[in-house]
Amino acid sequence: MKVRIKFTKTGILKYIGHLDLMRYFQKALRRTDIDVMYSKGFSPHMIMSFAQPLGVGVESLGEYFDLEIADTEDVSLIKDKLNVTMAEGITIEAVCVLPEKSENAMASVKAADYYIDFYDKKPDFTLLNETYLNSSELFYEKETKSGKKEINVKEFTFDFKIEESGLFIRTDASSGGNLKPGAFLEALFKKANLDLNEYKYHVMRQDLYTLNENNEFVSLGLIYA
Amino acid sequence: MQKCPIPEEIMMKIDHPERYIGNEINSVVKDKDKVDIRFAMCFPDVYEIGMSHLGIQILYDMFNKFEDTWCERVYSPWVDLHKIMKEEHISLFTLESKDPVKEMDFLGITLQYEMCYTNILQILDLSDIPLLSKDRTWDDPIVIGGGPCTYNPEPIADFFDIFYIGEGETMYRMLLDLYKESRKNGDSRKEFLHKAAKLSGMYVPQFYEPVYNDDFTLKEFKPLESDVPVKITKELVTDMDKTYYPDKPVVPFMKVTQDRVVLEIMRGCIRGCRFCQAGQIYRPVRERSAEYLKEKAVKMLKNTGHEEISLSSLSSSDYSQIEELVNFLVEDCTKKKINIALPSLRIDQFSVDVMSKVQDIRKSSLTFAPEAGSQRMRNVINKGLTEEQILNGAALAFKGGWTKVKLYFMLGLPFETEKDIEGIALLANEIAKTFYDTVPKEERVNGKVQITVSTSFFVPKPFTPFQWARMDKREDFIDKAEHTKHYIASQLNQKVIKYNWHEADVSMMEGVLARGDRRLSRVILNAYNKGCIFDAWGEYYHHDVWMQCFEEENIDPFFYTTRERAEDELFPWDFIDCGVTKAHLLREWHNAQNEKVTDNCKARCSGCGALKFDCGICVNR
Repeated sequence: MKVRIKFTKTGILKYIGHLDLMRYFQKALRRTDIDVMYSKGFSPHMIMSFAQPLGVGVESLGEYFDLEIADTEDVSLIKDKLNVTMAEGITIEAVCVLPEKSENAMASVKAADYYIDFYDKKPDFTLLNETYLNSSELFYEKETKSGKKEINVKEFTFDFKIEESGLFIRTDASSGGNLKPGAFLEALFKKANLDLNEYKYHVMRQDLYTLNENNEFVSLGLIYA
Repeated sequence: MQKCPIPEEIMMKIDHPERYIGNEINSVVKDKDKVDIRFAMCFPDVYEIGMSHLGIQILYDMFNKFEDTWCERVYSPWVDLHKIMKEEHISLFTLESKDPVKEMDFLGITLQYEMCYTNILQILDLSDIPLLSKDRTWDDPIVIGGGPCTYNPEPIADFFDIFYIGEGETMYRMLLDLYKESRKNGDSRKEFLHKAAKLSGMYVPQFYEPVYNDDFTLKEFKPLESDVPVKITKELVTDMDKTYYPDKPVVPFMKVTQDRVVLEIMRGCIRGCRFCQAGQIYRPVRERSAEYLKEKAVKMLKNTGHEEISLSSLSSSDYSQIEELVNFLVEDCTKKKINIALPSLRIDQFSVDVMSKVQDIRKSSLTFAPEAGSQRMRNVINKGLTEEQILNGAALAFKGGWTKVKLYFMLGLPFETEKDIEGIALLANEIAKTFYDTVPKEERVNGKVQITVSTSFFVPKPFTPFQWARMDKREDFIDKAEHTKHYIASQLNQKVIKYNWHEADVSMMEGVLARGDRRLSRVILNAYNKGCIFDAWGEYYHHDVWMQCFEEENIDPFFYTTRERAEDELFPWDFIDCGVTKAHLLREWHNAQNEKVTDNCKARCSGCGALKFDCGICVNR
């Protein structure tokens, strides 16, 4: 059977990259007695699929991976079995069973919520808000293998709010159109004539979303729960 | 809560910030107010190299089993962070508590290769600890060195307060107790070091003085205090089943070089290859029992979640219970989808059978280390391996489906002739021929065999029969590598033989430091001050800077490498007793000249001197 595992990645562990995180979970699962299913072949690997990789330096309260386990496993025990062998900063929040024909975590991600906390000097939030609302285009220069490419980040942003000492954004997180919060900030600050380098900020991913049959965003953890 | 002494904006611009975060599974965090001794254990290279070292894993486990001690880890910040820490005055910290290294009671540094010597100074410098032992006070940790390079500690003698000669498991408890007592009594740092110098295995350089002849050979090496030992005997574990070995090694987040469970099956080697220092200084051979190892393997795999286990020893095929152990692992690990790595296994029917079970034959390659190309030269170095054995092994491997073979040789061995160099090419060609003779055309998977020949340049090391040998110059090395290349290119099967060789400059400097004396501390200090660090990493080694330092200190580097040494010369490391006597080494030096092979320890005792330790193969034959 397939289960979806929701976890957090906070504190100093934000410096762990995606590949290391995958290896971390493979080792963690091997430290438990959870009966994980492996691929066939000479070098079998655990059948698992991670949702949109989290950038190095970004914390998250809502990360997901799907895992194929033996039908005999008691799903209600998996969360505790993993939590006793987690490093400080990674906590398993929930485990739910996925229906037989569900889309895997990676393919189903459509959006992500981020909270950007300016913990030192605060930028002019009113100016940023006006800039966002009044600009139909916010350009970010992306370096690709074939050279520089202009991207209108506004097309990939679904929501934008000023909240307390920071910004809330909901951006495209699909594999084709993933917009990183850093790219969004660069484009917005440039348009507002502010120098992003002058500000220190933390980024917290709050959750990942997929679309339901009515084209509404639903948390990856709730779509099948 | 997890601290990070490096500000976020720096962490985000350096390479691999995860090197500096600690917090790994099985790392040990204690309450610093509830321990008496804080010990920082350092491997002076980057995290992924240092974390792969077994010795530190063993000692980390041992120290943290002591209730009064908290052992933490430190590695060299990579060059990018090094620069920033210097500029921003960020003090080097331990990975567990993130407290400054300077606040520790001890800073232990393991010395695994000579080319890490400038990194020792980097660690001290970034920790705000005076680089020279004589300038330190009780505000600084006791800086103690261990590991194979302590068998000639003289080039770095000025930087260390103590060297622990031999295996760490035996004497640290006594040293820590002495430290606690000294601190309680209000002893001065020097008083403590004086007491420590009387403990077995402890070498405190400040209580000894080298006296030189006019030609800078050593005239005398004398203690400066009447009550410190003249000879320092190495420490060793006598029963390998009744000692420390971790059940729960630290599991790194980042992919480290040795990303697996390591099972040390034995210490020492019966072979006595004449170029090999490890084969002498770890004598006598001591095995762990298969029962002990099986239990450890199961526990360590369970506690780490690693997907691979590797056997560690100098020559695993010589382990008396190898078949029993490997069969157990194959059975147990296959069930759990765990890979087994079997390095240093001689290629015979057993190993080929086992490896075909545990490796993907299409991807893996088989390794032979004949070390020398001709039989004559293999006799000189006492490598008890004949061409027939190599070719039989290769034939077995080819029948088993392998098509990739790696061959390791050394150039610049003592008494080497042109014929020996040509022998490397001839042997590689014979192995290729063996493939075509063994595997019928229709069974050749990719059509051909792939042979990789690698040569390194021979560096004479202390406590080996070749400690008297002169080392080749850089030009000789490059010349010999060119010849090897030429000979390989003239073989019939040259198209399937790939050749690569090591850098010659670094080998030369390794040769200087390996057999150096205390005068070299000045040169190393100068090199560090000129910016040399990470010399072991080819791209960061600056030969011209080192040469300039020798010139400024008025020391001839070739004194240590190309010079003929007289048989009765007093060596800087002769005050250390590793068990193997100088008389035995000299006998072996003569045997090398006479191309005479000496039996291995299992076949016949050669009277090396290690018998006095009364353990291992010397008593359980």
